[in-house]
Order: sequence, then C-alpha cells, then structure tokens
Amino acid sequence: MNENLTPTPGRDVPGRSHSLRGASGRPARRIGAAALGLTLALTGVACSSSKKSSTDTGSSGSTTPANQQLASATLNGDGSSFQLAFQQAGIAGFTALQPKVTINYQGNGSGAGKKDLGNQIVQFAGTDSLVKPAEESAMKGGAFLYFPLVSAPITVSYNESSIKGLKLSPDTLAGIFSGKIKTWNASQIAADNPGTTLPSDAIVIVHRADASGTTSNFTKYLTAAAPTAWTLGHGDTITWPDSQAGQGNGGVAQKISSTPGAIGYVDFSDATKSKLTFASIKNKAGEFEAPSLDGAAKAVAGTTIEPNLTYNALNVAGTGVYPITSGTWMLVYVKQTNHNIGEALKAYIDYLVTTGQKLATPSNYAPLPTSLAQSAVTQLDKLQIPSS
Amino acid sequence: MPEVRASGRGALGDGAFRWLTLLAAASVLAILAFIAFSTTKQAWPAFMHQGWSFITSKVWAPQNNQFGSLALIYGTFVTAAIAVVIAVPVSLGVALFLSEQAPRRLRGFMVSAVDLLAAVPSVVYGLWGVLVLGPKLQPIYRDIHSVVAGVPVLGRIFGPNGTGQSFMTAGIILAIMVTPIITSVSREVFVTVPRADKDAALALGATKWEMFRAAIFPYSLGGVTGAVMLGLGRAMGETIAVALVIGSQPQISANLFKAGDTLAAVIANEFGGESTGVAQNALIGLGVVLFVLTIVVNLTARYIVGRAERRMQGAL
Amino acid sequence: MSALDELTPPAEQDLAPAVDVRVRTVSRGRKVRNDLAIGGLYVAMIVAVIPLVAVIWTVVAKGLSGFSLGFLTNDLPHITNLTDAQIKALGLHISTKPAAGPAVVGTLLITAAASAMAIPLGVLGAVYLNEYGKQKPFARVVRFMSDVMVGVPSVVLGLFIYSVWVLRFGQSGLAGAFALACLMLPIVIRTAEEMLRLVPDELRTSSAALGSRTWRTTCSVVLPAALPGIVSGAMLAVARAAGETAPVLFTVGVITATNASLSGPNTTLSLQIFSNAKSANPLANQIAWTAALTLICLVFVLTLLSRLISARFASKRS
Repeated sequence: MNENLTPTPGRDVPGRSHSLRGASGRPARRIGAAALGLTLALTGVACSSSKKSSTDTGSSGSTTPANQQLASATLNGDGSSFQLAFQQAGIAGFTALQPKVTINYQGNGSGAGKKDLGNQIVQFAGTDSLVKPAEESAMKGGAFLYFPLVSAPITVSYNESSIKGLKLSPDTLAGIFSGKIKTWNASQIAADNPGTTLPSDAIVIVHRADASGTTSNFTKYLTAAAPTAWTLGHGDTITWPDSQAGQGNGGVAQKISSTPGAIGYVDFSDATKSKLTFASIKNKAGEFEAPSLDGAAKAVAGTTIEPNLTYNALNVAGTGVYPITSGTWMLVYVKQTNHNIGEALKAYIDYLVTTGQKLATPSNYAPLPTSLAQSAVTQLDKLQIPSS
Repeated sequence: MPEVRASGRGALGDGAFRWLTLLAAASVLAILAFIAFSTTKQAWPAFMHQGWSFITSKVWAPQNNQFGSLALIYGTFVTAAIAVVIAVPVSLGVALFLSEQAPRRLRGFMVSAVDLLAAVPSVVYGLWGVLVLGPKLQPIYRDIHSVVAGVPVLGRIFGPNGTGQSFMTAGIILAIMVTPIITSVSREVFVTVPRADKDAALALGATKWEMFRAAIFPYSLGGVTGAVMLGLGRAMGETIAVALVIGSQPQISANLFKAGDTLAAVIANEFGGESTGVAQNALIGLGVVLFVLTIVVNLTARYIVGRAERRMQGAL
Repeated sequence: MSALDELTPPAEQDLAPAVDVRVRTVSRGRKVRNDLAIGGLYVAMIVAVIPLVAVIWTVVAKGLSGFSLGFLTNDLPHITNLTDAQIKALGLHISTKPAAGPAVVGTLLITAAASAMAIPLGVLGAVYLNEYGKQKPFARVVRFMSDVMVGVPSVVLGLFIYSVWVLRFGQSGLAGAFALACLMLPIVIRTAEEMLRLVPDELRTSSAALGSRTWRTTCSVVLPAALPGIVSGAMLAVARAAGETAPVLFTVGVITATNASLSGPNTTLSLQIFSNAKSANPLANQIAWTAALTLICLVFVLTLLSRLISARFASKRS
C-alpha cells in the first residue's frame, strides 16, 4: 500500500502506464508563468482599490433636504438585531432617495455593535442597551449620541402546540428562565392558566448566544418585576442554566420554531415573521397583555425620556401597557471625521426618525412619539461634521 | 533514474528550475510553521490571562472573562466519537462491498456515489441538519429515552429532554461526512490484500465471510485503524456543520441528547461578535488547542499505518 | 494468462475461478453467518447512500423554487419583515425574490484566485518531490508535513490568515483566497506527486539519453504525460475550496452588492448558506436552500468532470 494518506476518492488503484505520447502539449512552465501572471494581475487590481472619490457638493451644517443629492459615501453599521428589520427597510427607502450612498448594517448584536463603534470599525452602531460608564473609555472616537429609532415588544415566544394563549406572570417567567420550573405542567404555570390542560413535556429554554441588548432588556425586566424569583442578574450576556442558544433574534426564533417545548425571548418583528406563538405577560396593572405595537407605544408614552433621549420602557405602570417593551437606538460619535460620511449619516438618521417612521408599523415596530422624534431631529444639530 | 547533471549549456536553467521547485516544496513547511507560530502568538495573551485553566476549566463565559475550554474539548471528542462509532461499521461494510462484492459494471457508479457524499460541502450538511434532520430527530430522541429510561448506563446516555440540536445530531451529521474518507482509505487497504491469501482461504472451503475474516481483516487491521483515525481527525476539525446543529451550550454532560458545543463550533459562532481584546485572543487560542489535538490524532494515525505497513512487508 | 495480467492491479477481480472448487456442503450455521454478513454489506451500502439521496433530494426540492437566472445575478435582497403587499403600499423598491449574485461572483472570484496561487505552487512542489527530492530527508519531511497540513482544520487556516493579514489590511476577497490556497496546497501537492509517480521512468531515461536536462525532461515530457491526472486532482481541490466556509468566515466580511474585485469585503455562496441557515425568516431560508443548490451543482460538476478526466486518462494508459 502506498504511503498516501491523502485519500483521492474515486481514483481506482492505478496500474503502470504505457503511454508513449510524445513531448507535445504546453510545458508546465508556461502554465505556471500564466498563473503567476494572473495572480499578479489580480493582486494588482486588488491593491489599486478604487477609493470612492469625494467631491464636495453637500452643504455643511443643516440637514440635507431629501431632494438634494448627497455625495457618494459608504456607511457601515453593526449591532442590534432587534432593529435589524427596521434598518433593512430604512436602508432600502433611504438609498432609493440617495442612490450614491451605500449603507451596510450587520446584526451581530448590541455588544458587537458597541465594540465595533468603539474601535471605529463602523460609522454607527445599533443598540438596545446603553453604554455602561465603564465601557465609555473604550469608545475611541470620544463623545457619542443616542438617536432613538423605534420601540417594540420583546415577545416571550413558545412552541407548544397544545397550549393556546399561554399566560405568564413575572415570577413564573423568572422561574422558567432560571431553570427552576422544568415542565410545562408545573404548578406555577397552572396557577397562571386556570382551566387549561398543560402537557408534561420538558421546557427547553432558548437564549441569545451573542452579547445582546434584547437579553439585557429582558433580564432587566425580570430583575425589576420579579426581584425575589430572578437571581441571575442582568446584562448583555448572563450565565444561563441548561438551555440552547441562538445567534441573533433570528437565530432564537429559528430554534424556538424547530424545537417542540421551547420557549425564548424574541423581538416582535422577527417573531411575527416566523409565525411564533406569544405568551401574554402580566403587567404592573395586573392584566395579562399580549405583545402588540399598541401596548409598546403605551409603555413608551408612560415613561420618562432622559435628556440624552434614552428611556426605560420596561415594567411601566398603566393599563394596556405591554410590560416588556424595549427601545432601540443608533449610536454615533459627535465628532465626525469625514464630511461626506457625516452628511450621509445625518441625512440617514433624519430620514429614519421622520419620513422613515412610516416603515415602522408595517415592519412591526412602534413608531416614536412625535415629541421624541422632534427631539431626535433637534439633536442632529449636535453632530460636528467637518466642512470638506 | 540517473540524474543528468553536468556542466555546459542549460546547467544554469536546470539549477534555477531545481531551486524554484525546491522553494515551492519548502513553502509547505514555511506555511505550516507560520500557522503554528502566528496563531500561538495571537492567542498568547489569553493563555497568560488564564493559565493552565484554559484547558482544565469547564467554564466558558467570555462576558465574565472566563475562558475554560474543557467543556468544548469534551464536546469535540464526544461528537467525533459518536461519528466514528456510527461511521466505522458502515464504512467498512461499504469498502468491503466495493472491493469484494459489487458487480463489476456497477462498481464505478457506486464509487462515484460515495465520492459525491464527500463532495457535498459541509455547510450544506449543516443546513440540512438544522432545518430538516434536527426537528425530525427530537421526537425520536424522546421516544428512545422513554424506552431505556430505567436501564442503568443507557438511561443516562440517552437521557431525558432531548433536543434536535445536540451531541447526537452533530455526531450523526459528522458520521455522514467522515464515511467517505474511511471508506476510501479502507478500500485502498483491502485492495492490496494479496490475492494468494484470499484464494487460499477459498480453496480451503471458506465462505466469503470466512475468507474476509481469515485473509482480509488480519492483513488490513493496521491500515483500517489508520483510516478510522483519519476519520476521527476529520470529525474533530469539522466546524460549520457542527456549529449549526450542536445547540451552542458549552457543557459536559453524559446525556448525548443534550445540546453541547465544540472547539471549532464556538470559534465559528462567536468570532464575529468579538472585535478585540482577550476574548478574541481566547477564540484563537481555541484554534491552537484544536490544531494541536488534530495533529496528535493524525500523527498517531500515520504511526499506526506505518507500523502496519512494515509488518505487512515482513520487517517487524 | 498473458503478460498483460501482471500489469493490471491485483485487485477487484472476480474471485470465482473457472472451475468452482468451493465445498458444496457448507454447514447451516456457516451459511447463515455468511448470508448475514454479505447482506450486511448491502445494507451498509444502502445506509451510506441514503443520506446522500436525502440531502440532494431536499436541497433540490426546497432550492429549485427560488432558482432563476435572477438568483445568480441580482443583489442580495434586504431582508425586512415586510410582506409583498406592504412593500408595494409603501412604494419601496425592495426585492422579495431570493438572489445571491454577489455570492456567486465572490465564490468564483475567490476560488479562482486561490487556485491560481495554490495549483502552480503545488505542481512545482510535487515536481520537486518526485523528480529531484525523491527519498532524500528534506523531501520526506515535506511529504510528511503535507499530510499533516491536510489534517489542519479549515477554521484554523481562517484564524491564521485573520491573524497575519486581516488584522493589518482588513477583510477582503484576497484574504479569503489566501486561506483557501493554504487549504488547497497540500492536496494539490500530494495528488500531483501521485500522478508524476505514475509516469514511467522509461520516458525520463529516454529523454535524458537524448541529451535533455532534468528541467527540460520534466517540462516537456513528464508534466504533459501526467497532466490529465494533475488536472483531475486539481479540480477536486478546487471543488473542495469552493464549498468551504470556515476559512472565509472571518476573512472575507459581509456585503450586499456585488464586489467584483479582491479588495474590500466580499461574500461567498457558502457564507450565505451559513448565515441564512441561522435565521427564521422565510426569505433568508429560501436563499440558503437555493444557494445550497447552486453550490452543490458547481461542486458536483467539478467532481464528476474530475472523474471523467481521470477515467479517460486511465483508459488511455491501458
């Protein structure tokens, strides 16, 4: 047996050759030279990358009206998957008006977005959780601004076909997600759902694998609403009990829909698109509220907006309020370093909080209250964009 | 063949060409050394931060700056072991079938079929596994558990609350992926069994199966072991298919129906989110650990096969 | 038995000799065991083929509906959660048809670049191993290390290129091509060396006797003789590279519009399958299935072509 441990599948064990073909055919040298030349040519193309030439046509300072064409610019963003669907719709709408601007947004999670912005790899970050004071030093571009975009419910979605209209109180929710309640027919769940027959299947918890603002808000809610039952703390990531993890809101939605007995937290937009079943959560007023845009809007209306335009819409008091409502923001640096990019960024944010708000409801997000939207537009003036 | 190396016209060209090819061959060594060096260098801060607990601690919690990879090493070995346990009987059967039993005319067609199994990209297996196979397997896992629940060891291995994305599903997908490798190398081994041995067994009245046991198996044991270890090495290094179906829960559990995680899957799933810092170095460190493990397995495979070869040639 | 029989491999020939001298009266137990074992072989073959059939069937069934010429050329659609009706009502120009044009371009470009680097280097290395180095210590070390390198997990190659290139120059198609070239190189070296070894020495000695130097012999005589086999092996390596995901995962980045150059982020079919497999959005999943169909077609065509070439090579020889 030859020493060849590199299996070449399908090659029959060969015999000896008797070919006496003459020395015709291209020498390997020429092939090698051609390939070398090709590689050099390709590398040459790669190295002389066409940088988009910036011609100064945009005005500095005021917001670019929608009918004034911006110079070409590429905006890269990363972060929250909670707002991903809204960003995609916004990008489509905005770039239709401003074809020279390219916007790429990846939904790698709020944690990744904040880190990328901190290292100035991207021009904006999407996040549902605030930058902690300890993390502020990692933002290398200096001071930054929060621009609110939309808000939406964080649904508690589950995959248990025999249960329709599951109701959960915060304590039960905390027990489920901390692993203390292990089966669907546990007494606490039965207490929240009198008269419903519950199966004895095991509960499979699905959480976020990546550093997530949705996780941060969900766990913050549990800490606020069920302080004794929930002991795992809150943050972009926490240490979960035995469970499954998905990447992004989309990943969690997928795991829930493919795992019978699963329960997890997913943003309203993705959950609706994946046709998941939602649980109704008991709000502070004692009512069991199903997730809805109306319930989210009421939550935002009932909470205080901070001067930096952030707010906490979790566990808000009032009737008709959906208790697990999350806002989501765009983070940008105050000091912009490039004129075209700064102008494009400003115009894009302006679009999202004004004309683009009409994209919110169809995408299953609650639009901003008018006053908040106006504050956001006013905050745009704080951006320092170089004049050329 | 005598090398025609003499002075005179063309000697310079010959020397230059020789050096060119030598450099090309040396590039393999250079690249391999470079891989080992640069990945270790990149991972060094994480190793320093964590010390030996990098491979002895089972807590993998990047958000708390804890980088223990024991659970991941466990997952890597368990899924590879499941894959080998399932794949070896099937592969050996296929290899025997192709080398001894298949009708001549169909042989080429069937060899092609096994090759196509190897040609399917791993991401396609992963896609199929996560969207089609996994959901179908979950009820089967639960049924299996309800059957063996009371049995001492089996009840724990085929434990409760199985999910479609688990060690077992990953092992099954890996089994499908390593079957062609084990089959192909085993087939090459079976084919070199001396015809005399086989004919002698048959002449003495052995049935086909007895001929396999008498003539083929003893002869090919070393080579087949090498093939199996190659498959093991491949299964340990497989990244994408496993990342999609393993469940992303780093934990050590005897329950094969539970979710887990492997070294390669964690790298694939978590790399995008970590842009800098010790966390990223730790992920590269996982790559170094995986690199070392697969090299050890592959070297052992080569050693075993080498010994078997020498024994077959009568040297040992 | 003519002299030609010595030259055919002593393998896979019919075992039943002209006169059947097997004992007729085999005991029941032995016969049953034999039948079970032989039956087991058939079962193994079927079990091995079932997943292949299942995967191909599913990919075709789910992927075909999204397939069109537009799939191969249009930009990746924005995945919003809007329904078609809503998109129309809002006057947006968002496509809801699956498309992966940038990924097709990326796969072809990056794989071609990787092949352009790995194949010449690999063939030259194989020439050294077989024509010059042979059994010398250095050549043996290179052969050994090539086998070791084949076993390196592809994700480690991606991490390697990330550490040495991406951290300094950013993500790009070129970085992905480097990683894939590292993957292909040992495969090409080993298969090319096999093919060179098959070229009979008579060709070399006759060429030397006519006064040509080793390099001339190699380039004009040996390589052309081994070319079909080398091409066949190279195509297998290309097929493998086209389907790989891990090496390009952190080296190539993400885009939505086609990038036809090797600089700047790009995407490949395999990456699109991977990221869309993790989503629950129906459009994303459809893109994944159809991209899988496209990728499988590409890889299968290359694999079968490779076998065709090597089969013609084999038939030419005998």
